[in-house]
Amino acid sequence: MKPAPFAYDAPRQLGEVLELLAREDEDVKVLAGGQSLVPLLNFRLARPDRLVDLNGVESLAYLRVEDGALRIGALARHADLERSAEVASGWPLLAEAVRHVGHPQIRVRGTVCGSVAHADPAAELPVALCVLDVRFHVRSVRGSRVLGADELFLGFLTTSLEPDELLVEIEVPAPPAGSGTGFAEHARTHGDFALGGAAALVAGEEARLALLGAGPVPVRFDGAPGDLPDAAVADLSLTGPDAEWRRALLRELARDALERAVA
Amino acid sequence: MSAERWVGRPMPRREDVRFLRGEATYLDDIELPDLLEAAFVRSPFAHARLGAIDVEAALALPGVAAVLTGADLGKRARALPAGAVDDGIVADAGHPVLARDRVRYAGEAVALVVAESRAVAEDAAELVDVDYEPLQPVLDPRTAAGMPLLHDGVADNRLVTWQRTHGDVEGAFAAADRVVSQSFHIPRLVAAPIETRGAIARVEGDVLTVWCSAQDPHRPLAQLGVSLGRGPDSLRVVVPDVGGAFGSKGVVAPEVAAIACAAEDLGRPVRWTEDRAENFLAAYQGRGLDADVELAVSAEGRILGLRATLYADLGAYLYATTAVAPHTAAMLITGAYDVAAASVEVVGAATTKVPTGPYRGAGRPEAAFLVERMVDLAARKLGLEPVEVRRRNFVRPDAFPYETPMGWTYDSGDFERCLDAVLELAPLAGWLELRDAARAEGRVLGVGVGMYIERAGGLWESAVVRVEPDGRVVVRTGSSPHGQGHETTFAQIAADELGVEPQAVELRWGDSGELPGVGTFASRSVAMGGSAVASAARELAERARDAGVSVTDLGGAEAESRFSSGLVFASGAYAALVEIERATGRLLVLGLAAVDDSGRIVNPLLAEGQVLGATVQGLGQCLVEEAVHDEEGQLRTASFADYSLLTAAELPPVESRFVETPSPLNPLGAKGIGEGGAIATPAAVANAVADALAPFGVRHVDPPFTEAKLWSLLREAGP
Repeated sequence: MKPAPFAYDAPRQLGEVLELLAREDEDVKVLAGGQSLVPLLNFRLARPDRLVDLNGVESLAYLRVEDGALRIGALARHADLERSAEVASGWPLLAEAVRHVGHPQIRVRGTVCGSVAHADPAAELPVALCVLDVRFHVRSVRGSRVLGADELFLGFLTTSLEPDELLVEIEVPAPPAGSGTGFAEHARTHGDFALGGAAALVAGEEARLALLGAGPVPVRFDGAPGDLPDAAVADLSLTGPDAEWRRALLRELARDALERAVA
Repeated sequence: MSAERWVGRPMPRREDVRFLRGEATYLDDIELPDLLEAAFVRSPFAHARLGAIDVEAALALPGVAAVLTGADLGKRARALPAGAVDDGIVADAGHPVLARDRVRYAGEAVALVVAESRAVAEDAAELVDVDYEPLQPVLDPRTAAGMPLLHDGVADNRLVTWQRTHGDVEGAFAAADRVVSQSFHIPRLVAAPIETRGAIARVEGDVLTVWCSAQDPHRPLAQLGVSLGRGPDSLRVVVPDVGGAFGSKGVVAPEVAAIACAAEDLGRPVRWTEDRAENFLAAYQGRGLDADVELAVSAEGRILGLRATLYADLGAYLYATTAVAPHTAAMLITGAYDVAAASVEVVGAATTKVPTGPYRGAGRPEAAFLVERMVDLAARKLGLEPVEVRRRNFVRPDAFPYETPMGWTYDSGDFERCLDAVLELAPLAGWLELRDAARAEGRVLGVGVGMYIERAGGLWESAVVRVEPDGRVVVRTGSSPHGQGHETTFAQIAADELGVEPQAVELRWGDSGELPGVGTFASRSVAMGGSAVASAARELAERARDAGVSVTDLGGAEAESRFSSGLVFASGAYAALVEIERATGRLLVLGLAAVDDSGRIVNPLLAEGQVLGATVQGLGQCLVEEAVHDEEGQLRTASFADYSLLTAAELPPVESRFVETPSPLNPLGAKGIGEGGAIATPAAVANAVADALAPFGVRHVDPPFTEAKLWSLLREAGP
């Protein structure tokens, strides 16, 4: 399980990263925590010409609260999120969801932005971010743009990021005053890929719900808390021999997440 | 008789200091000058005719030293030997070293690439161009006979045929008040040791030395000897520290014979360190058994007769031990019960999958699962308590040595004492109250009990005990540790015989050039290897006594022992309390109680560790583990992303207790402890799951008890 040969760069500046990503004659991939990319490389399922290692770009290694919003830099690790007192008090949904990401070793290395950019439908954080109305800040040599979750996630392992673009920051606004959040998931074993999951935010009679394992991208629903579990799973187009079980599981997880949100 | 100051004490593992400090030497830690690394080209098809293999591009890659195909090996490396079983017919279908003409499972090695690094070897392996003409896969052992034949001269795709009948089976079924029948499917599992397989081969002069991650050096010595035509004078096998095996390193991998040929050709040592992807595809799998079982019972619950046909999904080839698991399942199918008449047939089918072989339990979990489920099914049919039916059929404590209808002789045991102990330990009465109260609230709970018999020991094992001039004791053993804790338990045994501290005893093992032996498998280390150590040490102690000196004054003296005995039979009783979440179908094991009779326990701490470790593997089989092949014969669970292993987080509370009925067959009174948890846990949990689902009209479920499976059963039964 050795990767196919590739060129390797370890720049120190964001500008250099963007220049390397802009090389048109090459398939260039960004290496951050490597927790998804390196296995894909080792299975030779991913065969980029060049890897650009972000780990030396110190300006991207931050997790801070600014103007009431949580700002997650491209090199912020899952463990940074997990261990942050500000996240625990201001964004408890993220603190809760991140504990379901793999194992401690994976969280120490893996990055939040990397998980989002990888867009695995079994990933926890994209689902949690979905109900928080986040803004994804994207940079390239051509300029910058800001995307919402519905604009970023396009399909299985597919985002709207162009080959030359880098997700540099996730901006998470403060949840609405008086709201509560909850997260629930089901995996066969602790740290295993989730078979289903749900993130919920409840503010009075309005609730937001996002489901994991319901499709190729996180699926978001808004409505009254009492109606959401049934309404959300009713329209899901699930296929395969276990489709009805998955629908039942997702309904249960949605109910669980919503209950936690009002608890 | 020695004073037992150390045997029986819960001493922590001495060897852990070395392991926890990172001071162990595993295969991949060994450095040799000029070492080359190997990678294999493996078939992407489960069944295909093998055409031309073009190695030119691979050979041209810088850093590549050699590319070998089956044709290049010619007669230098013959197929590994297939093993026999008593009274069975076994086909001549040993595993080829590299495929010739046909490939018979996805992952089978067709070419070997040797290069300056593993990375270059993998790059070159991609450049080897192989022509395949895909053929129809053969997947189901029940129908394999009617499928395209996998081996010339092997009719009906039947690799193993075994049949035995004892007593008047027809009469028993004719006289029965009830006949209970059930079909079973026990899926294949992967062993998944932390350290994968591998070896280094070096040829110096006429002598081939193989460092091999193996359960012992003796079987690689014998098997490579057959394949490569070498005897012990030109072949030496050394086993370094080993990071787990669970049965999967008891047979040498054919890849090892291939790198030995490359090392001979190149005059440089060659290493193959198997990666995890290869381990999933090419290391033999465990279990894989379908069965039809019938029980003839009287209205009072006496088992009058048993009939069974076992369809073993053996895979593409026969390793030396492939036939062992289904044979053991057949031999133990009457379990802890005194059954007068039984007839069992084993159909060992060739399929286009990686071969099967022993995996912790090796046929015993299958036997326990079948007979324990049948007893519960009979009890339910008769309206009797499952525990009571067991009591009415146990082999009685005064019946030992007891010859089973299949022909093995149980040396010792007290099955009712084990059952009583587990009922108290659980405690079963409390669990039943809990179950009934929860059921009244609409929850789905079940309680199950499973007995087990663990065939252990047998054959012989060697030991040499030597007193060094400085008084230190060096014990050389033919038994090899790979997690069992020999350095602790064998030192305890020697210390008692010699009247020294265990710390004064140094253990050596793992070199075929040092000492012949049989090896580590079948939970035989203490009973056989430990008894050999005890015998040799006792001889030294007697010499010292005769000379009127202490053992440590016998500098330079040594005693050798080759201890042999018949099979010993450990046994036990397990109980499980489970709940099935109605909303999701998830199985929660709320409690597990384990009573093991392994005879005399040398070290209760290590014994409990064995119980817990084996129980986790047994639970994995219940909850999540299943090697799944698709209709093309591709392994769909080929990485840890798709094949789950339990973690500490999934462990229910496990209560462990021992019953000790000593074996009369060895000086320690020991039987075996390594596998009981893996044998009895699936039976107990399966009975608990069936009990939970009984109110819903469900009779039987096969493992693994996945959420989707249980949810569907509950839903079909209605609210």
